[in-house]
Amino acid sequence: MGKGSYRLGCDIGGTFTDFVLVNDETGEFSTNKCLTTPSDPSDAVEEGIRDLLIRNPDADANIEEIIHGTTLVINAIIERKGAKTGFITTRGFRDILELGREIRYDAYDIFSEYPAPLVPRYLCAEVDERVASDGRVIKPLDVEGATDAIKKLRDQGIESVAVCLINSYENPVHERIIKTLVEETAPDLFLSTSFEVLPQIREFERACTTATNAYVKPITAKYLAKLDARLRSLGFGGRLYIMLSSGGITGVEAAREYPVRIIESGPTAAVIASQYYGRMFEIKDMFCFDMGGTTAKSCLIQKGHAGLVSTFEVGRVQRFKKGSGLPIQVPVVDLMEIGAGGGSIAKMSKMGLLQVGPESAGADPGPACYGLGGENPTVTDSDLVLGYLDPDYFLGGDMKLDKTAAEAAIKNKVADPLKTSVVDAAFGVHDLINETMAAAAKTHIAEKGGNPNVVTVSAFGGAGPVHAYGLARKIGAPRILVPPLAGVGSAMGFFTAPVAFDLTRSHRVHLEDADFSDIEALFKALETEGAAILEKAARDEKIIFERTLMMRFVGQGAETDLPLGGEPFDQLSRQEIRDLFDGEYRRLYGRTYPDNPVEFVTFKLRASLPERPFRLPTMKVSSGKLEDAVKGKRNAFSVVQKKYIPFSVYDRFKLFAGAVISGPAIIEERESTIVVGEDALATVDEYGFVWIDLDK
Amino acid sequence: MNAQNKTKFDPITLEILWRRLVSIVDEADASVARTAFSSLLRDAHDYTCMFTDSRGQELVQGTFCTPGQAGAMALGVKKIINSIPLDQYKPGDVYIINDPWLLAGHLNDVCVLSPIFFKDKPVAFTACVFHHSDIGGRISSDNREVFEEGLFIPPVKLYDAGVLNQQVLDIIRWNVRTRDEVVGDIRSQVAANHVCAQKIIEMMEEERLDTLDDLADEIITRTEASMRSAIEAIPDGVYPYTGIIEGGKRKDITISLTVTVDGSDIAVDFTGTSSQVDWGVNVVYNFTYAYVFMAIKSAFDPDIPINEGAIRPIKMTAPEGTIVNCTFPAAVAARMQVGHFMTEMVFKALSAAAPDNIIAGSGGTPAQTNIMYGRRKSGKPWHTMIIRGGGLGAGSRMDGHHCAIFPANGANTPVEIFESDTPLLVKSRGLVTDSGGPGTMRGGIGRQMVIHIPKDEFGPQDPTTIAVQAGRYIYPPEGMFSGKPGTKAKFQKNNEDADPSGLTFCNAGDTIAFYSAGGGGYGDPLKRDPDAVKQDVLMGYVSAACAETEYGVAIDPDTLEIDVDRTRLLRGQS
Repeated sequence: MGKGSYRLGCDIGGTFTDFVLVNDETGEFSTNKCLTTPSDPSDAVEEGIRDLLIRNPDADANIEEIIHGTTLVINAIIERKGAKTGFITTRGFRDILELGREIRYDAYDIFSEYPAPLVPRYLCAEVDERVASDGRVIKPLDVEGATDAIKKLRDQGIESVAVCLINSYENPVHERIIKTLVEETAPDLFLSTSFEVLPQIREFERACTTATNAYVKPITAKYLAKLDARLRSLGFGGRLYIMLSSGGITGVEAAREYPVRIIESGPTAAVIASQYYGRMFEIKDMFCFDMGGTTAKSCLIQKGHAGLVSTFEVGRVQRFKKGSGLPIQVPVVDLMEIGAGGGSIAKMSKMGLLQVGPESAGADPGPACYGLGGENPTVTDSDLVLGYLDPDYFLGGDMKLDKTAAEAAIKNKVADPLKTSVVDAAFGVHDLINETMAAAAKTHIAEKGGNPNVVTVSAFGGAGPVHAYGLARKIGAPRILVPPLAGVGSAMGFFTAPVAFDLTRSHRVHLEDADFSDIEALFKALETEGAAILEKAARDEKIIFERTLMMRFVGQGAETDLPLGGEPFDQLSRQEIRDLFDGEYRRLYGRTYPDNPVEFVTFKLRASLPERPFRLPTMKVSSGKLEDAVKGKRNAFSVVQKKYIPFSVYDRFKLFAGAVISGPAIIEERESTIVVGEDALATVDEYGFVWIDLDK
Repeated sequence: MNAQNKTKFDPITLEILWRRLVSIVDEADASVARTAFSSLLRDAHDYTCMFTDSRGQELVQGTFCTPGQAGAMALGVKKIINSIPLDQYKPGDVYIINDPWLLAGHLNDVCVLSPIFFKDKPVAFTACVFHHSDIGGRISSDNREVFEEGLFIPPVKLYDAGVLNQQVLDIIRWNVRTRDEVVGDIRSQVAANHVCAQKIIEMMEEERLDTLDDLADEIITRTEASMRSAIEAIPDGVYPYTGIIEGGKRKDITISLTVTVDGSDIAVDFTGTSSQVDWGVNVVYNFTYAYVFMAIKSAFDPDIPINEGAIRPIKMTAPEGTIVNCTFPAAVAARMQVGHFMTEMVFKALSAAAPDNIIAGSGGTPAQTNIMYGRRKSGKPWHTMIIRGGGLGAGSRMDGHHCAIFPANGANTPVEIFESDTPLLVKSRGLVTDSGGPGTMRGGIGRQMVIHIPKDEFGPQDPTTIAVQAGRYIYPPEGMFSGKPGTKAKFQKNNEDADPSGLTFCNAGDTIAFYSAGGGGYGDPLKRDPDAVKQDVLMGYVSAACAETEYGVAIDPDTLEIDVDRTRLLRGQS
């Protein structure tokens, strides 16, 4: 790489930490991968960067930005390794966290487990105060009592404290006083207040989100401080950004203040990369498909935008059962995660049917073919038996796979019990996992109002490019896109993520009674707040604001989201707003009721900076011969003919722009393998993307 | 089944289609939270969505269902569908029904049912039952006949071929107290069915299916086989049990049942059970069946999605006119006060045969429900309903979860929602120390909720009316295998015990307290792991005093250390 300005993306995953260094002037990349160091993740970060700098001496001191994603927060929650945290609430309600919403998430299971609150009951304190649901102060805060409560919790050894008082979403006056008290009397404590973390009605969800923020705040702050120091010691003088669950990136200050917003930092990156490619290639409907060892994550991207949702669960006691985790209400990319990965275990179910996943063999013992003692057949085992994977070229040959062990596992656990052949069983496993993902994909796409028959599937992750072909066939997608470095594709997403922050404010008022200039003022206030957060991120650019209304029929309990255009609110008419609502409601539920009054509930604002496009490096348009890229031929299973046929095997690194490969073909790279069926045609473009057209 | 169908639904395809059906009904289910008006639906989730094939056989029900509604619907919806010849259904028809004998046992459970058409043929039916907190009538458990309990709706068309039948809506509107809410919730039911129908049609198009009936046969057959193999694991035998349910001011009720396990069949007979009574706790056959089914399903085969096949191996007989198979026009509004006990009674009958599959008595049996209503100072009526759980009974391998509604299901209403829907103020809501029944496995903890009626300009007009439909005020949830009972429920007005039956009229300044019962313990409390007892004391679930008297574990209340020697002495160990 030559001189110029550089950016570095760094993604800490469960097993590996991935790095991508990009030279913004030439568009050239350099990548690195090293083992994650769980005891101190910044060890791996420093080591990996040091390594990259040795290989790219010009980048030293020329890195302008480092963009970072981490599983630190989610792991701290799942493994319960956050800080000892206290909780302060209104007298009479210390059990908010303990009670939760009381619903049994599995109605027919009398032995269901439930997640324990992040703050144990003995660290939940009550203070005398009360605010009514309309914001009136019924009983002023007992300041002395609150001071004692803080002191007592501190004496119990807490490091962080969450404050959530009843009805504070409507009037946070007492939370503000407690905030001051903590700052004055216990400045060493980390503090999270519910009016700042989530100013929304429903005390359990607000308390849980605030307590989670408090629980991970110290660990995040310490980590970020340490990371920052280590980066500076490497000579880094640029800006550090952190990936948010919402798909934006933010400066370190906001991440430190609201770590609950970076929980899904990792999985989001692939979606953001897809979003960027979607815009770059002007693809209207993209389906991002990221399949790793344990799960597959996917997301529909329409016109270059992934959807956002405002609630999700972490730390599920039963991993794929809705309701068995802790609810977190912050903006998060609407991605769907299911238990389908290379390690998903296949077996015969109680119903005498084939079942694959959601349990995974993980990395230890891993699939049977790893030869580490795993006896359960997995998706990777079936991919090996079907010939898609090369036993001698897994991870570029660094890891040999044992095909005999894979066959034996499939025979014992699937083929024999289901009274079928090993080959049929192996294909069944491959096909069922594709079906499972396809069914989930179809549901997800349908929910977003998309059409699977027009999407381009963008494949990421170790297993993504292996299964993308089968998945695309099942959902009827005509095209697949496999970006370069699909194995570290997530880290690429960091370069394309906009600096962005989402804010909300609740203000309930009937459409007929609303003063539109008040609402314009409210949006303006949110804009000022958003600008302040972005300015800390210190880029001198024009800020983009996007407004969304959350409205409902008077008396309903949930809202319908209505994105607005750019016009000032006081220039809109009531009828325009009403039409917007009725149109969306009819689309979602079939009918609307124009005579029934509607109300505003919450106003949302996204403040963002323009994306910084990066130039992808172009490949040399070589006059190279395709034959030079051929590694040989091997028999692999045709999903069309349901039998083994010869596939040509190519080395992806030897392909060139303009190369056209007719299936059946297998394209191998170090971290993944691309399967191209006999009815498909693969072309390589000038950036090294592989485009696969089905039904050639 | 012909050969072609066999290849059509190989085990793999079947699994995929089946999963999709479940996700369809769950999507309809989720739409309710977004469109419903009453907090009982949108926050407490007291509703069930399901759909059937063209013959009315239940195919799938929502994951977050309420077992009483769900089990009763499996029987009732089929009967309603088949009462009308298939060729008389038209696209866009929507039926509305709340006949307690046809459906879920009281007038508040209103069903909206629609045929789903595909290629001009009715291929399926989608139905949902919502618990409407207001259906008019005199809201109380001491009504003598169903006529007093509110509006009775036989199967009628709300929409005829897509055209609204305004008269039906008007009849409903003029018979309830909170018309906007009730009508809004009926619309939410129509919307839920719309979502379900739309998704089923999409699936049939994509999968190129012309009918769901073949798929239904396959799913139902496999489910039945799974249920049967679960039942086969129970030793054959005849297992009788007789239990008492408190009548409060009235006579106690005797439930006499015999469970007969024969191979893969289970029969439950209620001969010997008390006759129906002249107050609101009578149970229709469907609702009794639902909670008998709940017992067997949850104990032996909880994993498989529910459909017609799951109910086939379970037969139930009950003499007509008994309280578990009451006849028209019995009063039924508070049928959960008896119906919810069926699960526990079947567990008790089977306790010796399957001790590891069942749990002790639960404080959330029956669900504790309260309807509260009145007028604001402005004259505007307000009306709300909350449901409360209690401690779950302990099992052989688990402490009881605290605050669960069992065997029914549902969520609490957030305090902040309750306060924005009503002029009342919640003083506290939380766990009650020492309420869980002591045992090797401890019963779940019960909870209290204290509500104050403000005496100021923001409070309501007098009176505020509170209807309690609950139980466990006299007989606490029992323990099992030497486990002790949980604490009893309590209902207090201004700190004094009040009458928990019928209506309670309150005035501004009054304070009402509801305490739900704790779950029963399982196994001898003296055998509980002392460290688990210590942890309970630390968390405040159990007091140090109770640790000593009930569990024989001596814990210093200040240091929370176990006094090993004294503990040995207390437990009679040398």
